[in-house]
Amino acid sequence: MERMTPLLSASDLAIGHGGKALFQGIDLRLEPGRVLCLLGPNGAGKTTLFRTLLGLIPPISGRIMLGDDPLSRLSRVQIATRLAHVPQSLTTPFAFTALDIVLMGAAALLGPFSRPGPVEHQQAMIALSRLGIADLAQTEITRLSGGQRQLVLIARALAQEAGVLIMDEPTASLDFANRVQVANAIRQLAVAGTAIILSSHDPDQAAALADDALLLNRSGVIASGSAQEILTAENLSRLYGIPVRRERSTDGRLHFS
Amino acid sequence: MTERRLSWLLALALIATLMIGAMIGPYALTPSQIVAVLGGDRSDPQAVTVLWNIRLPRVLAAAVVGAALAAAGAAYQTVFRNPLVSPDILGVSAGAGFGAVLGILLGLPVMAIQILGFVTGLTTVAIVLGLTLALRGTGQVLVMVLCGIAIGALAGAGISLVKLLADPDQQLPAITFWLMGSLAGIKRPDIGAALPALLIGLAPLIALRWRIGLLAMGDDEARAMGIDATRLRLLVIACATLMTAAAVSMAGVIGWIGLMVPHMARLLTGPRFDRLLPASILIGAGFMVLVDTSARSIATIEVPLGILTAVLGAPIFVFLLARGAKSWSE
Amino acid sequence: MMQFPRYIFAGLALAIAAIPALAFDGKTITDATGREVQVPANPAKVFAAGPPAATLLYTLKPEAMVGWVRPVKPADRPYLLPETHDLPELGRLTGRGDTVNLEVLLSTGPDLIVDYGTINATYIDLAGRIQEQAGVPYVLIDGSFAAMPQSIRQMADVLNVPERGEALASYAEKTLADLDMLLADIPKDARPKVYLARGPEGIETAGPSSINAEVITRVGAVNVVTSDSDGLANVSPEQVQAWAPDVIVTIDRDFAANVGAMPEWQGIPAVANGRVYLAPSTPFGFIDAPPSVNRLTGVIWLTHTLYPDAASGDMRTEIADFYELFYGLRPDDAALTALLGD
Repeated sequence: MERMTPLLSASDLAIGHGGKALFQGIDLRLEPGRVLCLLGPNGAGKTTLFRTLLGLIPPISGRIMLGDDPLSRLSRVQIATRLAHVPQSLTTPFAFTALDIVLMGAAALLGPFSRPGPVEHQQAMIALSRLGIADLAQTEITRLSGGQRQLVLIARALAQEAGVLIMDEPTASLDFANRVQVANAIRQLAVAGTAIILSSHDPDQAAALADDALLLNRSGVIASGSAQEILTAENLSRLYGIPVRRERSTDGRLHFS
Repeated sequence: MTERRLSWLLALALIATLMIGAMIGPYALTPSQIVAVLGGDRSDPQAVTVLWNIRLPRVLAAAVVGAALAAAGAAYQTVFRNPLVSPDILGVSAGAGFGAVLGILLGLPVMAIQILGFVTGLTTVAIVLGLTLALRGTGQVLVMVLCGIAIGALAGAGISLVKLLADPDQQLPAITFWLMGSLAGIKRPDIGAALPALLIGLAPLIALRWRIGLLAMGDDEARAMGIDATRLRLLVIACATLMTAAAVSMAGVIGWIGLMVPHMARLLTGPRFDRLLPASILIGAGFMVLVDTSARSIATIEVPLGILTAVLGAPIFVFLLARGAKSWSE
Repeated sequence: MMQFPRYIFAGLALAIAAIPALAFDGKTITDATGREVQVPANPAKVFAAGPPAATLLYTLKPEAMVGWVRPVKPADRPYLLPETHDLPELGRLTGRGDTVNLEVLLSTGPDLIVDYGTINATYIDLAGRIQEQAGVPYVLIDGSFAAMPQSIRQMADVLNVPERGEALASYAEKTLADLDMLLADIPKDARPKVYLARGPEGIETAGPSSINAEVITRVGAVNVVTSDSDGLANVSPEQVQAWAPDVIVTIDRDFAANVGAMPEWQGIPAVANGRVYLAPSTPFGFIDAPPSVNRLTGVIWLTHTLYPDAASGDMRTEIADFYELFYGLRPDDAALTALLGD
């Protein structure tokens, strides 16, 4: 089988803060249209891994490639055009409108002295429409629900026009309806060709959304590979340190309890 | 209201306040006299002196100082992601105050006092940034703010020491008046001396105004969107500090403008820094002109600007808090 | 550590002061506050609480001074008795901020504290508290200009130098009586409008009821400042333009030197007519700084400056007389020129 160059790959990666490794031996690769889920308990270091992949903190060792280029050789603007980040929540004390937030995604595409113009406005509206929230464009984010804010952040990542989205616990703080809304959006993006790497502590969600999975806990990488293959009762029991049962419902979905 | 229309409206309002400022003053001049003098009529030398050498420089200085403090306040609030931050947060006012009162104590010429205040204001912030770098790295906003509080307190202690050492009959009153802020002694060369620093500080803020707004999202987010957050924030702090130091060394310590005007502007423009900055500049200039016009017209003696801005500022600020609180916090 | 013995001495002094005056050899006087104070019959070591009191004490009984509030400046030395030049700087007890340490004060062994200045509840209370705490009698004397002759006599009485006090008080009375005679012949509209300029920019001033400008009103001039605030104030040059003073009196050398070239002061009658006068200030100011008996020099100087035609006598001689009588040294011609200009 011919393998194309992955949009994002890491090999033998060790990550951590201040020179102290939290994990080592992480390998991952992400191709267009694929969804990779980082699964593990809270506090396992998923956010640290994401910050490393985004180049916000340097890896302890190992190598991260964006396409054919090592991450360490790329400028912030170059990274931003290939890799967009969707943070867990929107943390600003100011009442920006949804459109203002989405327009920020154009920063890497604009010159240093430019402001977003009609083209960027159009792109931002398209991103909002793809997520079904175009009608919220002029609403202040302080008036939005948690799910709507998450969608705004995803729209901003889309406006960044990067091939890869990194989503940190995109549904962790959402209620059921919002969770469904965001999950649908993620699947649609993958179908349209965007590569997505997301973190979750919920194995059901990993099974429902991901093509591939990487199981991580404090002792390191438990398993990595196709989601259907590695999301086993045995792996999950090791991951969480409690006995886990795996069931397949009539619609073919995996459930863990 | 569109951005462009709002800018025009604020610019017109500023022109109106400048005209009010030029019309009102303790020396009685009729509007026709003022128009005649502005038109180049030199037949009444006294009117020419009052208007060209005293009143107009002062109105202009008020506009410049107000614009600088408001712009610096808007910039600081954005990069520190906190609407309650004022340009004094890193100790620039305390530092400039220390230099200026030291200059008064040493009996330096007025221009030297102004320059010394400017230099010590910048030095104070440089020490804060250096200390932050030595401790944790400039990415640590909280460390930076705490260093600012500590160094600012030292500068405040320095001011108190100078007051103690000053001659109570002559220097102490001068120090007290200076610390309360006033434009009574402003001359045309003072504005000329401060203008380069103000423009050097303002130009990058205007040129980068849209990107600077992204710092309001936090460092990680801004960096993930392709912004070198640490460097950009340092640049903004340097520019805002330059402007504040220039304004404070010219007019003394004037509180509230840098805190309050960005709030007023935000009500009109929303939080986007690219829209907030021009609006803050225009409102800050107009507001300061009105405040200074009051300062020289309420009584025959000057009312210190710091007192007026606090008296006007505190109620307006509480009003804004009541109106706007819900739009800043979750 | 050098000061350690002084503190021991201060402690001793405190202990001694705490013992009720068993063998009290003195007199009881009623000071300006109405307090009855027991003072020594012949005070030999007197602490002046502030600059006005220090000046008055110097003129009455310099040998009793234990120190100055502020050190004697080099320029002041030729006009002051040599034995007082190197008295220690002790700081002030009243006014804007205390700078004297009570232990340091007691280590000088004073048998009396005198203050000469404003009488209000704060100062009355302060006098009582210090007296109680330090165990040194504290006499407060009214420092207003109008009460000057009487206050000189009262202070002289307390210090046990009544003849000296009489000489100075009658001089003050005569000077003020001469002034009133002169003013009687000067119609109201011939009295100049005066602006007092302080600070290098000249925009700091004082109103007619302020102790800092009292002497200007006393010599019959009209202080252009209409505010009735007691303290100092800032005004804008435009306000001075509006007031259009005939004369500007300044205590700031820089302002006096530069005002001719400052564009915002042009056109003001005083500036246009060259009537900007720098008040002499050595060893004590003519206008204020401190507001004490030295202000009588301001009366002489302003009389000659404001009414050159009406004033009789020679100003240089009168000033020299005053310096000889009050300060103990008669300035020679060179010193007078240095003081008054040509």
